[in-house]
Amino acid sequence: MVNGTLSLQFFGRLMDLTGCSTVSVPMVGDTDELRQRLFEQYPALREATYVVAVDRKIVRQNTPLTEAAEIALLPPFSGG
Amino acid sequence: METTMQTIFIQGAISTTMVAQSIQRYATDMAIGAHSCFIGQVRADLVEGKEVVAIEYTAYQAMADEQLQILAADIYKRYTLNGIIVKHSLGMVAAGEICLLVLAVAGHRRAAMDACGELVDRIKNELPIWGKEYFAGDGYQWKINQ
Repeated sequence: MVNGTLSLQFFGRLMDLTGCSTVSVPMVGDTDELRQRLFEQYPALREATYVVAVDRKIVRQNTPLTEAAEIALLPPFSGG
Repeated sequence: METTMQTIFIQGAISTTMVAQSIQRYATDMAIGAHSCFIGQVRADLVEGKEVVAIEYTAYQAMADEQLQILAADIYKRYTLNGIIVKHSLGMVAAGEICLLVLAVAGHRRAAMDACGELVDRIKNELPIWGKEYFAGDGYQWKINQ
């Protein structure tokens, strides 16, 4: 476990499920650990469809995180 | 590449004046023979008897603008376009109002039309934008793209 925090943003329907648009969580090392932590904090996310973006790029595989990382959880897009 | 885009986002509905100005912008380029334009309008869908009266758009703006630049650069090159304009609403847009403008201009119609079609599909599929459909009276649902 590393000291520090990660900031994340929720968008779309995920704001309803978590009740917030941004949150800080204790530092974790990678996106798999982050998912686990978020499932504990927000059980409703287990049923949700979303992708994780790190520094504005969608990551499909486990990805290391730093405190400066810009992290966002994105539900299916519905623009236009 | 010639684009107008620092950001594609406009607060509220896109005006028909803005559509006209986008077309006018290319009037001085004599190599252009075709404009293909897509205009998205908020539809008053009926969902279980409730009418959609407006859509509120939110976006991960920084990522959407970056993604659009990459997408537009790819399409601009592949279709040999003379220009692309994309505008998307943020915030509330009432049924009947315009929420998306995509303009592709080229020397010939086929390139302009194909590029415009691909742009619209990819904007809907690849840009982190979300619509929240408000019903008449009360309630909402998160829009799902087909």
